[in-house]
Amino acid sequence: MFGTLFIKECKQILRSLVYYIYVIVLILFLTSQMSGDSVNDLQKPKKGLDYYGMTVSTDKTDIMERTLADLLQEVYQNSFSTYPMGFYKQVILNDAELDEIKEIIEDCSGKDWDTLEKEMLEYYEAADQSTIEGAMQAMMEDRIEVKKDISYDTFCEKMERVCKIIGKGSSYEKKRLDYGVDVPSTYEKALEEYNGIVEKDRVTGAYMRLFCDYAGIILAVLPIFLGVTRGLRDKRSQVAQVIYARNAGAGVIQGSRYLANVCMAFLPVLIISFVLQMPWQYQAQTLGVKADVLAFLKYDVIWLLPEIMIVLAVAFFITELTENVISIFVQVVWAVVSLFSVAGLVGGFGLKLVTRWNELGGSALYEQQKSQLYCNRGFYFVLSLVLVVLTCLVYEKKRKEGESVYGKIFKRRK
Amino acid sequence: MNTEIEIKQLSKNFGKKQALLNVDLTIKQGMFGLLGPNGAGKTTLMKVLTTLLKKSSGEVNICGIPVENCKQVRGMIGYLPQDFSMYGNMSAYEALDYLAVLSGMEKKERQKKVPQMLEKVNLEHQQKVKVKAMSGGMRRRLGIAQAIIHDPKVIVVDEPTAGLDPEERVRFRNLLCEIARDRIVILSTHIVGDIEATCEEIAVLNEGKILFRGTVSELLHMVEGKVYKAEVSTMELPMIKDTFLVTGILTNGSTSTIKIVSEESPMKDAILCNGDVEDAYMYLMHQYHDPKKCRNMGVQTPEREF
Amino acid sequence: MERYLSVGSNFLRRQYLPHLLITLLLCIMSGFFVSFQNLSPEQAAKVMEMFVIFTGILLFTPLFMPEQNREIWLLEKSKQTSLWQLYLVRILEALVLLAVIVTVFIGVLSLGNSEFEAGKLWLGSFAEILFLGAVGFFVSGITNQVVLGYMVSVLYFVGNIGGSKYFGKLALFQMMKGDFTFMPWMMAGAVILLAAGIVIREKMNQ
Repeated sequence: MFGTLFIKECKQILRSLVYYIYVIVLILFLTSQMSGDSVNDLQKPKKGLDYYGMTVSTDKTDIMERTLADLLQEVYQNSFSTYPMGFYKQVILNDAELDEIKEIIEDCSGKDWDTLEKEMLEYYEAADQSTIEGAMQAMMEDRIEVKKDISYDTFCEKMERVCKIIGKGSSYEKKRLDYGVDVPSTYEKALEEYNGIVEKDRVTGAYMRLFCDYAGIILAVLPIFLGVTRGLRDKRSQVAQVIYARNAGAGVIQGSRYLANVCMAFLPVLIISFVLQMPWQYQAQTLGVKADVLAFLKYDVIWLLPEIMIVLAVAFFITELTENVISIFVQVVWAVVSLFSVAGLVGGFGLKLVTRWNELGGSALYEQQKSQLYCNRGFYFVLSLVLVVLTCLVYEKKRKEGESVYGKIFKRRK
Repeated sequence: MNTEIEIKQLSKNFGKKQALLNVDLTIKQGMFGLLGPNGAGKTTLMKVLTTLLKKSSGEVNICGIPVENCKQVRGMIGYLPQDFSMYGNMSAYEALDYLAVLSGMEKKERQKKVPQMLEKVNLEHQQKVKVKAMSGGMRRRLGIAQAIIHDPKVIVVDEPTAGLDPEERVRFRNLLCEIARDRIVILSTHIVGDIEATCEEIAVLNEGKILFRGTVSELLHMVEGKVYKAEVSTMELPMIKDTFLVTGILTNGSTSTIKIVSEESPMKDAILCNGDVEDAYMYLMHQYHDPKKCRNMGVQTPEREF
Repeated sequence: MERYLSVGSNFLRRQYLPHLLITLLLCIMSGFFVSFQNLSPEQAAKVMEMFVIFTGILLFTPLFMPEQNREIWLLEKSKQTSLWQLYLVRILEALVLLAVIVTVFIGVLSLGNSEFEAGKLWLGSFAEILFLGAVGFFVSGITNQVVLGYMVSVLYFVGNIGGSKYFGKLALFQMMKGDFTFMPWMMAGAVILLAAGIVIREKMNQ
């Protein structure tokens, strides 16, 4: 019975306008976003260039010196970026607060404020900022030396005080510091990076991470509408009563609907990723590397499938419970907050719904953070199963008692 | 296994509103009619029987199985709700097939049964018509097909003829009678004609209580020798309606032919005639709602509780 | 006149209220998400374009909610008051509410000591928010599916985050870049979408 219902449900989905919009938007979004990364840019780095892009360093001295330079910049402009609830919020301090932070900087560097300010201005005057690359490099190379006797832990303590002054969500919080800082890359590093892409990721893996980054954004929103539409369809077509009266169990009814939606939502993702992966396979060939042909499958299943599952499960659950469209608002807010809560655009997965990896490569860092990603996705996988079970329970309750949980409170009875 | 529905002391309340109060009924094989005004509790009773509503108290056994065993009971009943509909983008065939799957029917069985049922309800030529393009009558017929496709022992049909044209209505009644040959068919309606034409056993429900149960002839027996026809002036009508229970009026210019239910001859040129189910039903309702008028008519208000 | 008032207030109380409550919630919660203090013109525009803009979707998409049920739709059609008049009353209500919301936010921004030209930002925000709302209105109108209306308008927003270059003169988030030339285009677009939504909807159902 489950299999037949599943197939019938898939056919139903294929007839709904929402699904076609889903597919079209998915294709447009992914192809337009992914077209920026040219296959031909992936080349073995040459020696003797000025700029090798940037890389993330977790070296303690790097972190302290770069952080101090950034803090000096923000104090100088009296404009602090924070992300308290995931959204950007600018913080401006009064003179007393500024002075306290200045003192902390002086304390860490052992130089007085005026000297530091002068040095900073001179540094930027001397740097070539005529190109974006130049400006970025100048920023990344801007450092303030710390006193020898300051350990990383003491530094973090001092930054904790800074956080208290600025408020929640600033870039001086311990976990943000631990995450590392951007520093200019060198030839050696660039080569290491290239080798990582070629050896560990076998080219396609690195590309699929970038794909999952973009796809993850749109998939936090798109499946909501599939779920809500399915949840409301019984009410809209007035078929709830007829279906309640059949002897199929809630698990079979809701389970087959859920599974069909997950599969139909996942299928176009798989196809698009497979197609977009192809040029990279060829590029790998020209670089003399045996590409990982199944990378698209691995990354899609681990990275994107749990996301589709949880988004659909939440939509199913809330819609079954409330029988209205409120799930759309809740989930769009969830997606947008998750998207804008930045602790960098690469890694730092935590329990975020939208996990970012806005970089081609970073194989070593990915190896390091992989377990975190697995935890995140595993958590959502389990949570979505729990929610599906809850959806079935709500369905069965409504079926037995003849009225909705929500309806008891809000709707007038017949 | 017995083919019988037993209802004992069934009550259902929605908050303070008492929808059903101590209902006792035994329903045997054949057509069973449930008659009553709108809001009498017919739909509530049917929903309890079809496991779609939890009873507040009492006992309900369907063919020996307590209604609490939802899954088992659902396999035995077919339900046609008042406002039956299906997903608009499904064709008649698909809709029927879908619901058959939900009743746990295997593919082979469905391939045989679905066309059979469509033929039975005269939809075999419209099996590709989408549900959203169907007329009210077609939709009803599809509804009855889905209610019987899994060969249930009990079929519960809520207001089946509402919104059908006279021809369709007759066809529908015949179909139900045919189905009822080896099953229990419970039919609720507020249209007296439906009952008259089809049911042997009936129950009259009002404000959640059973006012009458028995056969149609027993119901008719209640008004035997009490139905009169008379010709009166149209001007007098309002006055007559105030004092007597008038069950029919046929106005012809200044005079009107009226039908009155009364214990004694209401006026001197009134002629005794045969009452029908409608007269009996009206009589029953008035006894309940307006016992005073009944007394005026010389009718004794019954003392016993129905 | 009384008729329109009664129709309007009925809609407001019976169908619109939950949506208004969510809109209100969004406005109240804005303090958690965005800052209103000491903003530059671009930052002030960002508050309007990235946050307040959601009220447009919330206010305009559900205006066809009661007629999702076909029977109600047909019934209302048979009445003396034409449906387009009903819709117009609702649009008017939504417009007034939107104007109030935009005014309140601009007021809060200027009280927070931010620098910007209030009149210009008001008009720009109003046009842009109305336009996104009109997208939702149009889609839910012609498909008679409110969910689709939300879907397309939300996706219009999301699509603009990464690819506003594909939307030409009807791209969102232009004020953040200091560009206000979109205003007449969006205003016209909104009016066309609102009108077309009603006309196509009623033509399709004939």
